[in-house]
Amino acid sequence: MSLAQAGGPPGWSRRIVVLLAWLLVVALGAVVIARTQIGADLSAFLPKSPDLRQRVLIEQLQSGVASRTLMLGFEGGSVEQRAEVSRAVGKAMRESKLFDLVQNGDVSDWSEAGTWVFEHRYQLSSGVMPGQFTAEGLRDAIIDTLSMLGTPAGNAIKPLLDRDPTGETQRVAMELVPASAPRSEGGVWMSRDAPRALMIATTRAAGGDLDAQAVAIARVQAAYEAAAHGMGEAVPKLLLSGPPVFSVMSREKIKTEAIHLAVVGGIVMSVLLLLAFASPRALVIAFLPVATGVVVGTASVSLVFGSVHGLTLGFGSTLIGETVDYAIYYLIQARGAAVAGTGWQRWREVHWPTVRLGLLTSVCGFAALVFSGFPGLAQLGVFSIAGLVSAALATRYVLPVLAPDGATGMGMRRHMARLAGLLVRGLPRLRWPLAALGVAALALVLWQGGHLWRADLSAMSPVPRSAQQLDEMLRKDIGASDGGVLVVAFGDDEQAALRHTEAAAARLDALVDKGELSGYEAVTRVLPSVAAQTARQASLPDADTLRANLAEATKGLPLPASRLGPFVADVEAARKQAPVQRADLMGGPLGSVVNTLMYERPGGGWSTLVVLHPGPGFEQGRLEEALAGLPEVQVVDVGRELGGLYQRYLHEAFVQVLLGALAVVVLLGVYLRSWRRLLAVCQPLLFAVVLTLGGMALAQAALGILHLVGLLLIVAVGSNYALFFDQLRTTGRADEDTLASLMLANLTTVVSFGLIAISDIPALSSIGRVVAPGALLALLLSAAFARNVAPGKGPSPQRPR
Amino acid sequence: MRLDLLCRVVVLAVAFCAAPAWAAFDLPELMGLLSKQKSGEARFTEQRFVHGLEGPLDASGTLSFEAPDKLVRRTLSPRIETMAVDGNTLTLSRGNRNRTLALDSMPELLGLVEAMRGTLTGDGTTLQRYFKSTVTGVANQWTLDLVPNDSRLAAQVRSMRITGRGGEVLGLEMEFVGGDRSVMNISPNSPPSAVPAGASRRATP
Repeated sequence: MSLAQAGGPPGWSRRIVVLLAWLLVVALGAVVIARTQIGADLSAFLPKSPDLRQRVLIEQLQSGVASRTLMLGFEGGSVEQRAEVSRAVGKAMRESKLFDLVQNGDVSDWSEAGTWVFEHRYQLSSGVMPGQFTAEGLRDAIIDTLSMLGTPAGNAIKPLLDRDPTGETQRVAMELVPASAPRSEGGVWMSRDAPRALMIATTRAAGGDLDAQAVAIARVQAAYEAAAHGMGEAVPKLLLSGPPVFSVMSREKIKTEAIHLAVVGGIVMSVLLLLAFASPRALVIAFLPVATGVVVGTASVSLVFGSVHGLTLGFGSTLIGETVDYAIYYLIQARGAAVAGTGWQRWREVHWPTVRLGLLTSVCGFAALVFSGFPGLAQLGVFSIAGLVSAALATRYVLPVLAPDGATGMGMRRHMARLAGLLVRGLPRLRWPLAALGVAALALVLWQGGHLWRADLSAMSPVPRSAQQLDEMLRKDIGASDGGVLVVAFGDDEQAALRHTEAAAARLDALVDKGELSGYEAVTRVLPSVAAQTARQASLPDADTLRANLAEATKGLPLPASRLGPFVADVEAARKQAPVQRADLMGGPLGSVVNTLMYERPGGGWSTLVVLHPGPGFEQGRLEEALAGLPEVQVVDVGRELGGLYQRYLHEAFVQVLLGALAVVVLLGVYLRSWRRLLAVCQPLLFAVVLTLGGMALAQAALGILHLVGLLLIVAVGSNYALFFDQLRTTGRADEDTLASLMLANLTTVVSFGLIAISDIPALSSIGRVVAPGALLALLLSAAFARNVAPGKGPSPQRPR
Repeated sequence: MRLDLLCRVVVLAVAFCAAPAWAAFDLPELMGLLSKQKSGEARFTEQRFVHGLEGPLDASGTLSFEAPDKLVRRTLSPRIETMAVDGNTLTLSRGNRNRTLALDSMPELLGLVEAMRGTLTGDGTTLQRYFKSTVTGVANQWTLDLVPNDSRLAAQVRSMRITGRGGEVLGLEMEFVGGDRSVMNISPNSPPSAVPAGASRRATP
C-alpha cells in the first residue's frame, strides 16, 4: 500500500510529495467552494419522484406560483393612511418590474386590461355561440345589457352600448371577478376583522432564486419605508409573509446557525484537544484532517449537486466532531514507539485497519442518506462520506509526515484514562440491569408502534411558529386559496393544456350552477384554446344576417338597431381576427394572470392551475366525481398528498435504513469472520438504538424520517466503539491511553451532535437529538457488554458465554 | 328676582331645544319603527331614465327580506333574474347560471345593498357607516335621503331617496352621476294595517 521504510520517520521526498498532493486537493476544494452558491430551498426536504399528483404538488411548491407569492399587510393607523400606504407600495412594486402580479384591490389601472378584453371579446366570451346571434338570442342579450343601465354599473356599460350591445365584455369581466375576495374599503383591500390593508404579489423571479427573492423583498420594504415616511407615530406597520419570505429568512437563519455551530464546535473541540494534549502543535495537527474533510466534503457536494444547501453546512459541525476522532486516535496511538520516528508505522499496522473499518461502516450509514429520496439528505450523505474519507486519508498519509510519533503531551489524559478505566471496570457489572432496561425500552417502543412515528413534513420546516401564524392570518384575510385543493390540467403542448382546462371548466361550471362551488379561476378566461376561439368566431354571422336579425331583435326596445352600426362592424372584424396566443398576452396587462395560472412543466409539456373558491356547499368528493373521466385533469388535495408523500417516504426510509444497517453488519461480519465477535459488536449497537428510541418515546417526542436517519448514524458511528472493544479483547488488554483516546473521540462526537441537537433548525436538531445520546450509549454499552478489557489488571480468565 | 328670571329663561331654552324632538322625526326613531319588522314581501315596479335611450326602461318583480341580513330582488319582467344577498354573499342568477360574489369586495354593490338592507332592518349604524343620512317628514310620511361615503360608490351614485309610511318602505329613488335616474315603487303584499305606524306590518322594498 505504501512504501513503508525500515524505520524512522518518512523520507523527505515522500514528505514533500504527500504535502504537495494534500495542499493541491485542499486548494482545489477551496476554489470549488469559492464559486459555490449556498441555497436554502425548503423543498430540498421534499422527496422527489412521487406519483403524478404528488409531482404536480412538488412542482407547484418548488417553482409554481405558490413559491413566488408574497402576502403583505399594513396594520394600524387610519383607514386613509392604510389605503394610502397600500396604494403607494403597490405602485412602487408595479413600477419595479420585479413582480408579475400586484393586487391590493386598487382597480384604478385596470383600464388597459379592460381595453384588451373589449378588443378580443368575441374570442374570449363564453357567451359567443350560434344561438346568441339569432333574433331571439340578440333580443335577450340586449335586454340583459339594458338591465344594467340605470344602476351603479350603468356608467361603465353605457359607452360600450353601441359596439357591444350583447354585453360580451361585461361577461368576460364578470368571470374575472373572483368569487371570494377581500373586503374593499377606501379603494383597497382590507381585512374583515382587523385594521389591516392587504396586498398579494407574485415575484417575477423563480421561487428557488433566493438572491432575486431577497432583492424583491428588500424592494417591498424600501417602498413601504418611502410610503410610510412622515406619517408620524400611528403609521401602519408592514407585515410580510409568504414562501419567498420564509425561504430567504430560512437561508439567513441557516447560514447564521451554520457559522454559529461551526464556531462553537471548533472552540469546544479545541478546548477538549488542549485538555487532552496540552500542546498547541497537537491541536493544529488534529485540525488538519478536520479542515480537509470540511473542504473536500463541501466541494464534493458543490460538484455533485451544483449548489450547497445551508443545512449541509449546519451539519458540517458534526463532521468536525467525527473527523477529529481520526486525528485523536492517531496522535495517541502512534505514541510510545520503541524507536523514535516509527510510531506511525506501528499505528498503520495495528490500528489503521480498525479505523478503516470504522470509516467503512460510517460510509455505509451515510450511503443510505445518499440514496434516500430527499435531495437535502442526499447532500448530507455525500458531504459526510467525502468528508470522512478525505479526513481519514489525510490522517493516514499527512499526519505521519507531520507527527511521526503522535503527540507528546499528556495533558489531562491521565485523569480521562482513570475515569475510562473505572467505567470499563464498573460497567460490565451493570450488564444485566442495562439489558433489562433495553428489553423494557423495546417493549415500550413496540407498544407505542406507529404512534411514535407521528411527525409530519411540517416538523422539518425551519419556519418559526410565529411566522407561520402571521402567514395563516394574512392568508385568511386575503382568502387566498391556501392550496387546500387544487385542480391541475396537463397537456403535451400549450393548446392541449388549454383544451383540457376548458373541459375541466365546463364541468366546474355545472358545480357552480348547482351551488356546490362558489367559483374558480382558470387561465382560459383570458386565453382560450385556439379551438374554442375559432369555434366562437365561426358562430359570428356575416354583416347582412346580423343586420336583419338586429332589426327584428330591437323591435319595441329603447335601443334602435340604427345605432348599432359599430356593433355590426366589430363583429365583422372579429370574424377575421387572428386567435389570441400566449405570447400576445405576455407583455400586456393580463400577462401576470397567464404567468400565475399556466406554466411549462420541468419534464416537458404544459400545465394550468385552476384555483378553486370552494364556498359553503363544497364537497371534495363531488368535485372529484365531476372531474372523473378527464385523465389530463387532476384534483390535488395538498394536505392529503403531502401526508401521503410523507408516509410513503417514511416507509421507504425504513427500508433504506434497514439496508444501511444490514450493510454495516455484513461489512463487520466480513471483517470479523466470527459469528460470536459479530454478535458481540452488534449487541451494544442494538441496545443503544433501542434505548435511544425508548428515551424518545418516554419524552413523548414525535419521531420522523430524520430521527430514523439518526438511528442509522448511531449504528454507523457506534460501530467504531464496539470495534475498538472487540480489538481490545483480541489483543487481550487495553492500555489507558487507548481507552482515553476512545473516550475523547466519543466526547467530540457527542458534543458535535449535541450542538446540533439544540439548534433551532428542526432538520438538524432531530438528527442531533438521536445521535448525541445514541453515540454516548453506544460507547457505554460497548464497555458494558465487553469483557476482559479492563486496563492494568492483565488478562483475566475468560468466561464462556 | 334675578334667580326667578334665570329659571324661566332656562326652562324656555330647554323647551325650545326639546320642541323639535317632539315634533320632528329623526333617524333613530325611523330606525325604531323599521326594526320592528323582521321579514316581509312586496312587489315592485321600476322605471329607469337613461340618457341616450328612447324611452324609459321598465322592470317589475318582487322583493323579499328577512332579518337580519337576507334580501332577495327577483325581477320577473322583462327577463327573469334574481339577486340574492345572504350575509356577505351575493348570488346573481340568470337562466340556469349562478354567480357568487363577496359583497364587501365590491363597494358599489355593498352600498346599494346596505341602503336597502339597512333601511329594512332599521340598522341605523350601518346606514350611517356608508351614507350621510337625512330624515325629513313625519312618521306617517317620511323621507330618508342618503349620500354615499365610499369613494367608489360615490363615483357612480349621487344620492338615494327612500320614502315610506310608518314601518313600511314604499319607494326608492336613485340618482346617478351623469344624470341617469331610477325610480322604484314598492307595494307591500299585505295591506298596511290601520294601526299607527309602529305596529303596522312593514313591507320590504
